[in-house]
Amino acid sequence: MKAPIISAKNLSKWYGQVIGLNNFNLDIMPGITGIVGPNGAGKTTFFKLITGMIKANVGELQVLDQKPWMNTAIHAKFGLCPDYDNLSDDMTGREFLKLSGGLHAMSGAGLDKRISEVSEIVGMTDAIGRKIGGYSKGMRQRIKIAVTILHDPSLLLLDEPLAGTDPLARKEIIDLIFSLHREHGHDIIVSSHVLFEVERMTKNVALVYKGRAVASGHISEIRGLIDKHPHNIVIEGEGLLELAKRFLDMDYIVSVGFSQDKSSIHVQVLKPDSFFNDLPQIVADMDCDITRLHSLDDNLEAVFRYLVGW
Amino acid sequence: MIGMMAIIRYSTKKILFSRKAVVSVLIAIFIAAVMGYAATQDLERLPAGADFMDALILFFFMPIIAMIYGASIIRDEIEDKSITQILTSPLDRTFAYLGYYISLVISLSIVMVLIVTVGFLSFFGQTGIDSDALGIYFSVCILSIIGSMVYSSLFLLISLPFKRPLYLGLFYAFIWEGFIGSLGGRIQEVAIKHYIRSIGSDWISHGSISGYNASGIGYSSSVLVGITIFFLAIGILYFRVKEFP
Repeated sequence: MKAPIISAKNLSKWYGQVIGLNNFNLDIMPGITGIVGPNGAGKTTFFKLITGMIKANVGELQVLDQKPWMNTAIHAKFGLCPDYDNLSDDMTGREFLKLSGGLHAMSGAGLDKRISEVSEIVGMTDAIGRKIGGYSKGMRQRIKIAVTILHDPSLLLLDEPLAGTDPLARKEIIDLIFSLHREHGHDIIVSSHVLFEVERMTKNVALVYKGRAVASGHISEIRGLIDKHPHNIVIEGEGLLELAKRFLDMDYIVSVGFSQDKSSIHVQVLKPDSFFNDLPQIVADMDCDITRLHSLDDNLEAVFRYLVGW
Repeated sequence: MIGMMAIIRYSTKKILFSRKAVVSVLIAIFIAAVMGYAATQDLERLPAGADFMDALILFFFMPIIAMIYGASIIRDEIEDKSITQILTSPLDRTFAYLGYYISLVISLSIVMVLIVTVGFLSFFGQTGIDSDALGIYFSVCILSIIGSMVYSSLFLLISLPFKRPLYLGLFYAFIWEGFIGSLGGRIQEVAIKHYIRSIGSDWISHGSISGYNASGIGYSSSVLVGITIFFLAIGILYFRVKEFP
């Protein structure tokens, strides 16, 4: 069995009264791993601990078998793409990469060659000579990823790489992340607050919530954990009374409740996939008119509430 | 060394072409106007020229300009988070800090020499440039470079722990250097400019600086080198252990 590339044991980090990570335990294996959690869950704090920008108050952290705090040598082994924009608008993409290369002790023709290579990898060859200020959000993300891979590290840390990008850019960046792993051999840790986006990149995820790693492993195992808890679905429309009676006969429906004005019903469902499969036929049979249907559990926060029993 | 050079190149360019350069231009215009006007008055040429360059540039504006640039070079990068790139590079933080310091000294020296040149040309360009005037000019240029080295180490240090280092910088530049440094007796020895003027009194033989109650060039140089190294050492130690949340 391979050794973990990152191992966090009882890791805690607080900023005054605010807790960033709280008794955080997680082993990350080689490959692509998604760190998923709502905003403020502790994902960025975890990344900052990995990169040695902050120091843990309690606990142990090993990154590629080394401690990251006050250990600049380890910085050659990873590349960080932060969740914020740290680019200089008045520089060209090439100038920014040259600066980054210089910080990694790269220079001369070797650096120029590498800049050409990474520009091609991230699909920025044509735009590399342009000012960064004129780049689109997707291009800015690409140039950040180019900086991340410039010194050819074994581990890439991508913090919310899809944030703020349009659907086309998202697809391109997801494809790029796949390619960086499969074709270039980088291990990748990618964070996001959107579960389905991470699911498109990897099946190995760790769920982070309120400073703790609440679950980790293959996404099917986590989905199994989630499916043990009832999902809340609201249905609005006409003829809901008959529909509610029908629901009560179904074994995977836990409860049905009406709103005060009887215009909607609140259904708790154990198997949401089966429910959504069966619903069109049931509605057709009952001859009711549904105007709106929405799940209260679409957001990740609800998933975490289930997992931590909050 | 390559990493430190990268910081020096990047930061020097960033300082010299930042919006703060407008402040330097305004100061240069102000000095040109004051010294240009003074040149039209009935004054003793060499003492008056030396006094203006001493009082206006070395005494008053140098700590202010050093504070404006020095207090912001690292702090601005912390605030806009562009410092992440440096902190996550394999460059040791000691060399990163020294890189910032050297780029600040270079930028500040360039700005100060340009301002001294503007003042010199505005005054002596009208009253006559001779070897004595050039002697004053080169002395003030070198003193402003020495001042850049000392003040840079101080203001770079101040910028690390404080989110609003300009306030402390303003206190230092106006109250400490401006007021305490002007008091009579030995109390003025707690101000950096006392030692800069002490060196100047040995080099410039015109104006009030020539008769300054100096501490001696060897002692003053030692003190300036000592406090520069002290501020740099404290800054490096602090920068090495500082967290960047």
